Amino acid sequence: MAVRPLSAITLPTPAPDEPLAGQRALYILWALFWALMIVVSVQDHVHAGGSRLWEPFLWEGASAIGATFWFLLQRRVAHRYDADLGEPLRWFARHLKWLPLVIATFVPAVYGARHAVYGLVGERYVHEPWPFVAVYESIKLLLFAGLWLGILFAFSSFAEWRRGQRRLASLERSLAEAQLAQLKAQLRPHFLFNALNTISALMHTDVDRADRLLARLSGLLRATLQTDERDRVALKDELQLLELYTQIMEERFAGRVTIEWDLDPDAADASVPALLLQPLLENAFKHGVEPSTTPVRISIRSERRDRELDLTVSNSGALPPAAGTGLGLRNCQERLALMYGAVARLMLSEASGVVMARVTLPYEEHRA
Amino acid sequence: MIRVVIAEDEAPARDKLERWLSGYPDLEIVAAAADGLSAAQAIEAHEPDVAFLDIQMPGLSGLEVAAQLEQDRAPLVVFVTAFDEHAVKAFDLNAVDYLLKPYDKDRLSKTVHRIRERIEGGAPRGSAVQVARARTNTTERLLVPVGETLQLIDVATIEWLEADDNYVHVHTAARQYLVRRTLQDLLAQLGEQRFARIHRSTAVNVAEIQSLIPLFKGDYEVVLRRGGKLRLSRRFKDALFARMR
Repeated sequence: MAVRPLSAITLPTPAPDEPLAGQRALYILWALFWALMIVVSVQDHVHAGGSRLWEPFLWEGASAIGATFWFLLQRRVAHRYDADLGEPLRWFARHLKWLPLVIATFVPAVYGARHAVYGLVGERYVHEPWPFVAVYESIKLLLFAGLWLGILFAFSSFAEWRRGQRRLASLERSLAEAQLAQLKAQLRPHFLFNALNTISALMHTDVDRADRLLARLSGLLRATLQTDERDRVALKDELQLLELYTQIMEERFAGRVTIEWDLDPDAADASVPALLLQPLLENAFKHGVEPSTTPVRISIRSERRDRELDLTVSNSGALPPAAGTGLGLRNCQERLALMYGAVARLMLSEASGVVMARVTLPYEEHRA
Repeated sequence: MIRVVIAEDEAPARDKLERWLSGYPDLEIVAAAADGLSAAQAIEAHEPDVAFLDIQMPGLSGLEVAAQLEQDRAPLVVFVTAFDEHAVKAFDLNAVDYLLKPYDKDRLSKTVHRIRERIEGGAPRGSAVQVARARTNTTERLLVPVGETLQLIDVATIEWLEADDNYVHVHTAARQYLVRRTLQDLLAQLGEQRFARIHRSTAVNVAEIQSLIPLFKGDYEVVLRRGGKLRLSRRFKDALFARMR
């Protein structure tokens, strides 16, 4: 299956996170949790013979507000920790690092608030001595943080997993689209249907020739379908493909084209990108042979010069006005740049009635 | 006898169509052309009843050939193509006949059947020409006879057009051509952008007008940049003035 190089595929921008449903569930859970804490506290208070119900509300309410502050802070920066979701210990450690600061702010703030409210109603907030409070609240906060970090970890992990799934799906989709576009372009409906029509015409005059042509067309289609564009092939195999193509075209344009092959035997085993020359040859037919009412000569040349490989496809005629802007050449150029960087190049030129596409790339022997 | 012209640049495809069509006793193939210009010449010379025009041809495409035909006198056109999604859509919409390559004998015989029906029923033939004009740049190039052959000229070089019965004299700076078309049909092809009717029998390339000199009775004299003088009749005065403003 032909695939375009990955860099040439524009990746869709990832869909904005859809955290809303998940976030909302988390906030509801948080609210329920604190409602439960308050209810339990009120019950305890009543059970212990307390009568002033506002007291448990104040105690737990102050805690709820203090904890919510840190909770919201975590929600704001949660995405910064997403990268560590794959390593839970690290994720928890990075969060727990903040626990001392949480304790240092939470305890004074909450107790300060309680003292203030008691003071406002002209009472005194009686509690255990400060050292005890510090140790007791620290342990409580540690347990509390453990519980909620566990919950947050689960939520974040799930969201991250969902994001991954979506990314994968859209990547697969764009890959498939690219493959399809490539396939369509390579099969070139014009070429395919015209070739079939030639076969259908020959069938009535020369069955053997029609049959041969059918086999060649099949060979060409098979090779196109099997080739992955990132693959490299031996030059002799690429040339064989070109030969199939020219044989079909020579039948179609009988008497209007002659093909010359000038091949360097030393270059036969060179490694070249698969289907690199095919679009160049197609161009020679499309812009050279098809629009011409007089016979056109196409020549295909290979030459190895020490460490360099030179491949040219040329045809008699003139460059069309918008030459070099087509998909075939651009695709060729992109692939060369991707595979070889600056050392490979593709040049299009016209001199004394001959249009020439020349590819120069480093010589490497092909290993099957 | 139904007289047929075939235009197809690929020899095997041309042979196939020719062979199959000659199997119908009421069809007579009067010419088989291998490129667009020869096709136009064959149609001009033979005035066939039907023209099978391959779309993809060197020189002039089948659509361009059809676009240069006079709507009222055009043969019945059957376009032949391997793959032209958009053109085919337009053909379907406008009931223009076409053959998709490769086609079999059944498909061809349906087409022939429809041709017979249309010819017997005297159906109008203009729709293929209309579709072809809409799909090609016919406002820029005009096919004109030069001696025995046809030649494409750049429409911008035309100074003015003069109707003469069913012919039009096409005046350019260099020379003049006689085209077998009505002025109305020619203007329909060349578009309203460039030419303005100034008289019952004349139209002028607006870009060539140098000045307008009033004459008596509301008529004007149109002076061309290269010195020619034409008469602007009162009937067309307002439209021309509106355009030149």
